[in-house]
Amino acid sequence: MATDSHGRTTFSRGVHPPESKHLTEDRPIEPGPGVAELSILLSQHIGAPCQAAVKKGDLVQAGQKIGECQAFVCAPVHAPVAGKVKELALRPHPVLGRCQAIAIEPQEPASPTLPSFSLPADFDPTRHTPQEICEAVRDAGLVGMGGAGFPTSVKIQPDAKPPKHTLLVNGCECEPYITCDYRLMLEWTDQVLAGIRLAQRACGASKVFIGVEDNKPKAIDAVGAAIKRAGSGSDIRVVSLQTKYPQGGERQLINAVLGQTVPTGGIPPMIGVVVINVATAAAIADAVLYHRPLTHRVVTVTGEAIAKAGNYYVPIGTPVEALIEFCGGVTEKSAKVVMGGPMMGLAIADLNTPITKTSGAVTVLTRRQIGQAKFERRQTACIRCGRCLEVCPENLSPTRIAHAVRSNLLDVAQSYFISACIECGCCSYVCPANIELTGYIKTGKIFLARQRKKMPA
Amino acid sequence: MLRDITVSFAPHISKRLSTQRVMLDVLIGLVPLVAAAGFYFRIRALLLIGVCVLWCVGIEWVCNLIRRRPNSLWDLSAVVTGVILGLSLPPALPFWTAAVGSVIAIGVGKMAFGGLGANVFNPAMVGRAFLTASFGILMTTWTVPASIDSAMPKLSPADAVDTRTQATPLAWSKTAIKNQTEAKTYSRRLLLSTITGEVAGSLGETSAIAALLGGAYLLWRRTIGFHIPAAVLLAAFVFGGIAYLIDPDAYVSPFYHLTSGALLFGAFFIATDPVTAPLTRRGMWLFGLGIGTITLLIRIVGTYPEGFMFAVLVMNGLTPLIDRLCRRVPVGGLPRVG
Ligand code: SF4
Ligand code: SF4
Repeated sequence: MATDSHGRTTFSRGVHPPESKHLTEDRPIEPGPGVAELSILLSQHIGAPCQAAVKKGDLVQAGQKIGECQAFVCAPVHAPVAGKVKELALRPHPVLGRCQAIAIEPQEPASPTLPSFSLPADFDPTRHTPQEICEAVRDAGLVGMGGAGFPTSVKIQPDAKPPKHTLLVNGCECEPYITCDYRLMLEWTDQVLAGIRLAQRACGASKVFIGVEDNKPKAIDAVGAAIKRAGSGSDIRVVSLQTKYPQGGERQLINAVLGQTVPTGGIPPMIGVVVINVATAAAIADAVLYHRPLTHRVVTVTGEAIAKAGNYYVPIGTPVEALIEFCGGVTEKSAKVVMGGPMMGLAIADLNTPITKTSGAVTVLTRRQIGQAKFERRQTACIRCGRCLEVCPENLSPTRIAHAVRSNLLDVAQSYFISACIECGCCSYVCPANIELTGYIKTGKIFLARQRKKMPA
Repeated sequence: MLRDITVSFAPHISKRLSTQRVMLDVLIGLVPLVAAAGFYFRIRALLLIGVCVLWCVGIEWVCNLIRRRPNSLWDLSAVVTGVILGLSLPPALPFWTAAVGSVIAIGVGKMAFGGLGANVFNPAMVGRAFLTASFGILMTTWTVPASIDSAMPKLSPADAVDTRTQATPLAWSKTAIKNQTEAKTYSRRLLLSTITGEVAGSLGETSAIAALLGGAYLLWRRTIGFHIPAAVLLAAFVFGGIAYLIDPDAYVSPFYHLTSGALLFGAFFIATDPVTAPLTRRGMWLFGLGIGTITLLIRIVGTYPEGFMFAVLVMNGLTPLIDRLCRRVPVGGLPRVG
């Protein structure tokens, strides 16, 4: 384990943005709004997009598979509610801009009911074979719900070389404002734990760690108590981590908890580690024990400008606008609406953007906070103060990369390891010259991807 | 409801920090030094600094006009350059000379390179180097502090020593300390004087206490890292110590080296100029060690009594090279090729 000077488990470098979790951390999960239209995007994950399996006018059942594809790295999508397929059309997508989607008109636009989950008294993960678990997870369309959206079934498959020895559960929630995972750990503790044990069974890991930042002592206690209740779960340990951003970054978490580093350009399985998020763990339990597909999720709707901030259980496909209205609307005229948290979230231009499997939060930032964004502040040239280097969790030289991209010197950017950047935003956050370092780096990555497409090596 | 939505790259929040704030912190850190200069050299010191600041700011404004660039005075970097240049000048320097130095500092040292962030050399040191090269005598005319005029009445600007006339190496190494006549009777008292600042020298370099106070503020505010000052002082101490051990009669004690001359002032305020120092910590160590070593080399074997300015300029020139040598390796190691 890696520790800081106070003996707290953590990674090196990083930043301490204001946590702002007080707005929603004490709000229990509540059902979200009923809406007139749900838009199920066909690309909500990393990998091949789904093909629609329904036509306009079809009637669909709740939980019916409405889009899938045969690629290995892919996750099907399901209808959250019974209703009619209104159309197959383009809908706004937080990352891609626009994306093909299936619009469903629910039979009755009622609020969703909170699912009931009771752990079967005879729950025993070894009753399920790894195969079964992986298949159930794949059928349910599970993807990493913490951010990137990598299909979970691929992640938790047993591997031979190297064997997966450790399962790391990410309960850090290091992004400011977001509290959905925290509420899950508090309220759906047994379900989360069941999912963790199923995932462990699937991937064959002998050790399990649940990493939680130390600003969530209640969650640490709750999960610890649940582990004790489960009895046989003595191989599962809760690790309290220093509250620091980006503690929940996959590579940072592995480094903090296990003291290991994932090779640059590599992925955790290369060192035998699987990382899943607590929300994903809860969904695994649903998928395996109840064969419920991933059609709903908990979303934190928050921000100083939101009248009724809280954690809401909503069907995937709910437009952001409906969510914001449900929460009493925005108290200011102008704002920035971010899917996710303020450090890594994506600002959206279209309020019709639907909630996807990976959107854990809708954060509405006020005018005053927008003024804190880099492009709004007065910029100077880089004064080479080195702050961005001091905070970069991947030990890169952000100013170098950003300047190389700005001068269109992509090979120089590569020589400073542009692709090792995890886009955490720490460098932009601290820069006194207010340079959008992360923005430049992201742009550079897009240029590089385009270049590669044009000239395959 | 929402009428106006803003879209931008993440992150959407940022630390409350700006270039202006960084520069303001440097100015606050310089307050003790300016105060010490005012105390020891009276109103003339403040006027001299004022002339430098005014000219630096004015020239930056004019350069921006000529280059049709937006006004950049608000970032306060020109003010910082002005104060540091002023503090590095001898108290009796004519105002017009200071003005010339300011024009060179900002015009040549900064704006000709493209303004803030683009300059290779520390602008204040460029200005000072120009003055040293062009007006050698004026730049080495040291007055004693006004506060001890009665105690040491013998020295006045008129009969001040031109250090370049010092002859023998042996005598020179002793007299390398600014207060030339006192060096012969080098005593604890003189060491004490260099700490409080009751010695002759440039405005900002006489008082070790003021430099330490200002430096501590910068360290506390995290405006500067400890790496560069520590490296400069360490190298100077070790180098001076070696010389002293070899021949204590010929060379002064290393403590003396630390407290006298521009070393402390420079270690905290000049060498730490972020624009002209390396980016990485390892680079900063190399940079600082280089400055400390070159300074002492010049003091002990060179022809100038004080070498800090040249040391900084040399290491500024080497900074791009140091940066290239000290590349950071990603946490996950170098990526495997292919
Ligand atoms: S933090 Fe900003 S000003 Fe400082 S070195 Fe990095 S890019 Fe330059
Ligand atoms: S360079 Fe990338 S990894 Fe490093 S701080 Fe910036 S965004 Fe984060």
